[in-house]
Amino acid sequence: MDKAKKRNRRIDKIAKNILLFTAILSALFIVLIIVIVALRGFRPFFLSYDGHKVSFFKFITGTRYFAPEYRIGYIIINTMYVVLLSVLVSAPISVLTALFVAKMAPKVLSNILTTTIEVLASIPSIIFGMFGKGYVVILVRNFADKIGIVTAGGQSTLATVIVLSMMIMPTITMLSITAIKSVPEDMEHGSLALGASETQTMFCISLNAAKPGIFAGIILGVGRALGEATAVTMVAGGRGSGPTFSLFSTTRTLTSTILTGIHEANFGSLEYDIRFSIGLVLIVVILVVNIILNAVKKRLGRYYEPS
Amino acid sequence: MNRVNKRKVIDTSLKVITYIASFIAVIILGAILFFVFSRGSKLLSFKILVTDYHSKPYRLETTVSAKGLSFENPHIKDAYFSENFGFAVKDDYTLEGIKTIRFVYIDDNSPLKTTINEQGEKSPFKEGFIFDSTMRAVLEDESTVTIFSRYGAENLVNVLSDAVGIQTANVKSEGGGIRGSIITTLYLIFLTLIIGLPFGILTALYLHEIAPQNKVTNLLRSFIDMLTGVPSIIFGLMGAAVFIPLTSALFSNPDMKRGSVIAGALTLVVIILPVVIKATESALSVVPKSYKEGSLALGATKTQTIFKIMLPNALPGILSGAILSVGRVIGESAALIFAMGTFIGDKISITGRSTSLAVHIWSVMGGEIPNVTLASTIAIIILIVVLALNMSVKVITNRFMNKYK
Repeated sequence: MDKAKKRNRRIDKIAKNILLFTAILSALFIVLIIVIVALRGFRPFFLSYDGHKVSFFKFITGTRYFAPEYRIGYIIINTMYVVLLSVLVSAPISVLTALFVAKMAPKVLSNILTTTIEVLASIPSIIFGMFGKGYVVILVRNFADKIGIVTAGGQSTLATVIVLSMMIMPTITMLSITAIKSVPEDMEHGSLALGASETQTMFCISLNAAKPGIFAGIILGVGRALGEATAVTMVAGGRGSGPTFSLFSTTRTLTSTILTGIHEANFGSLEYDIRFSIGLVLIVVILVVNIILNAVKKRLGRYYEPS
Repeated sequence: MNRVNKRKVIDTSLKVITYIASFIAVIILGAILFFVFSRGSKLLSFKILVTDYHSKPYRLETTVSAKGLSFENPHIKDAYFSENFGFAVKDDYTLEGIKTIRFVYIDDNSPLKTTINEQGEKSPFKEGFIFDSTMRAVLEDESTVTIFSRYGAENLVNVLSDAVGIQTANVKSEGGGIRGSIITTLYLIFLTLIIGLPFGILTALYLHEIAPQNKVTNLLRSFIDMLTGVPSIIFGLMGAAVFIPLTSALFSNPDMKRGSVIAGALTLVVIILPVVIKATESALSVVPKSYKEGSLALGATKTQTIFKIMLPNALPGILSGAILSVGRVIGESAALIFAMGTFIGDKISITGRSTSLAVHIWSVMGGEIPNVTLASTIAIIILIVVLALNMSVKVITNRFMNKYK
């Protein structure tokens, strides 16, 4: 009896240690990612490649990107610009859609719209990219032709913004629906009892109370837009210098710079390692933007947990 | 009264704007589906699923003679039959949509027997071969005449009816299919799940069942949560910098330095890890506490309780995690472009280079003239599979959540 107990205890201990080991390994992946990207990403600033060394200051502030002078200052600005525009386009649409689904629509319509948004959210980015390159880009080109602007086959800031807005819309909408639905009903009832119209209540009370939740959706959307690579690369066009704020000129984002031409780059060359430097910048940009947005979110007021 | 009217106008206009905005989502989805299906359905067939991407050129191994031969016409619709050489050809399109001549029938005793390619590999003269270049036929007076494929199948058969032999014939096997990418995708799903599922499940079991409530556990949790926020291109960088050299060293194969299926699968393991962990944990938390307490009270050890009570009861949740992971694997592109490369392969091995369906789209959309038709065809397949997977997750979750109510 005692022996069996001892054996069981030993088995428990072994099992626990195996599980602990896998858990630690899983947690270490994020460390591995950051360390690896940092290690390779710092190389260009300390090593010399065929007598060529990259200055960090020039790298982070420069306005031209071409071999072997890789400078990404303008790419950071253009990335922010594209993401900002996409959020400005998609956030109002998403919030209104969420309001419609949560408050206005009859049940059937609400279900149809929810399903539509879920389907949209599950479409892989490569298909958005294909749609962008095969359709949106041509639409933009034809539109630009009509108003007399020459584009690079339609690959432009505008096309990128359209595709990105489509991709982040479901994210913002889904979180906004949850946020609006979890606004306490007595608040709305109180507003109605005070004589506000239904629409007034929806726009002034429900939306206002749901603001932090909606903003959480926007933060997620921004994160997705900053990190989106495949679709953006297919429609951005790859501009060599900048920054550019014109809607119809080609543009370049951090992710598209990492992805474009990776197969011509040899392992260990400057062209290859610089992508890790840009990846590192991308991680830092995402972190900083998230920290700022979360600080803003905290000032927006009380957050109603979805019930 | 005036103020009430003003209010009404504002209310109505706000409502109308909301109505319009909420249908933009429907329009976008409709536009994407319409685009993909209208462009891609033309190519969608069983054939494209089983055909290689790269077509292989072949030529006749030796000069063939058709002196005194005569074959019976099988009467294939729209096809032209060459009685002296025993084959039927028809005007057709390749999978890329280019006009061509296709061999649809070859008699068993036809003088066209074996072909050879540039590497000297022999292959039988097969039905399905494409003739899109030139053929040199020998006439009765030993002069030769060149036949061009662009004049069509009827011309080919007409000229050959006067010929007594064929000196050279350049043909090729059908190309433009996605067989390799389908197999690679299946390999990726299999490899990713077989490595990633146990890993994720064990981690979730630890976090949910064993981990003490302390700072270390919180740290582990927040580290794993951070993985969900990492963009897939960063996973790709990691795959390129860690898994490519690692697998290349493990298999001691320097060719794998440019990416391989196994390196792609390992990268995907990291990507699906948080998905599996989250699904398993939420499934574990739905299992009633009384199950666990009952098991422990009956004298089962902790290990027995975890693996024989908690795990089996959480299986539906784990299943939905696995299905979500499959969706992730099928849709992933940026990470795989780095870890696996964009070379579309036909001979698939886990140490070789090839593309998943999503990366196949990337490859054919990348050139100067993007092949939207083929890309859309692949997109149809991806869309159908991903939507079916998502629907099954919904069904499973609904059933599972209701089970303990």
